[in-house]
Amino acid sequence: MAEQSKSSTQILLVEPEALLRRTVVMTARSMNLGQVHEAASTDAALRMLRSRTYHGAVIAVECLGSGGGRRYDLSLVDQLRFGDAGKQDIPIAIMADQATPELLNELRDRKISRVILKPFRAKVLLETIASFGAARSA
Amino acid sequence: MQAAPLPPNEAERLAALYELLILDTPPEERYDKIARFAASEFDVPIVLVSLLDTNRQWFKASVGTDLCETGREHSFCSHVILRDDILVIPDARDDPRFADNPMVVGAPHIRFYAGAPLTTAPGIRLGTLCLIDRRPRTLDALELAILATLRDLVLMEMRRANEAADG
Repeated sequence: MAEQSKSSTQILLVEPEALLRRTVVMTARSMNLGQVHEAASTDAALRMLRSRTYHGAVIAVECLGSGGGRRYDLSLVDQLRFGDAGKQDIPIAIMADQATPELLNELRDRKISRVILKPFRAKVLLETIASFGAARSA
Repeated sequence: MQAAPLPPNEAERLAALYELLILDTPPEERYDKIARFAASEFDVPIVLVSLLDTNRQWFKASVGTDLCETGREHSFCSHVILRDDILVIPDARDDPRFADNPMVVGAPHIRFYAGAPLTTAPGIRLGTLCLIDRRPRTLDALELAILATLRDLVLMEMRRANEAADG
């Protein structure tokens, strides 16, 4: 039952780098870690939220602007946490270039399970996805 | 050192390799990016997409070496094409097949090796995607699965290139 639950876990992966994305999706499938649905951008992921409910998400947050006006786009996180399509309690991991105090401050109220910093490794993303599935099966 | 025996279907294997028209072609980004990704993912200094010709192993893509080919008689990859699964040598110095291999006792001083066979049809293994390190180590189940995925991506690119060539 727990195995069945794990394999039916629906995970959203948002990552612009195609090779990393494909490696995670294919390895998750071969390891029966759950169904990983991939999106290359926040916009694509927002569209995907309309057609499916997810049990967890791993999201590379895009950095907008430059210099002092630099900020991370957390619209997808907000949609998952607070929007109609979202389930407020799903685990969310964030991938970011660096953990700035501003980013960590913004993440604090959004109940982020994990912050993954560069260099992004498929293994770390897969371990995160496995932990989401394990938590759901428990 | 124990040189690997030839696969029983060596003639058929070589025919499949030559049919791809890939040997001695220039580097291609489609394979180079997978080799670079593997080097970063596994934190290894050397990654090869190696194809085994009659007397040599030729590298379609490589990270960490300027060589484009080496002799087949000392090749780790020639052991991989005898099997379906990934071959992992945690420490070549402890393995009687490789302990006195010139690439172990001399440059590039291989200690760790993991090779995933490039199988294009049942029993037809043209070469490997392999990881090489100068320090002993091993791979856990998740890392083995990632290496298998990267190998599958190399095979997908080989099929894609072949289909494009066929028009």
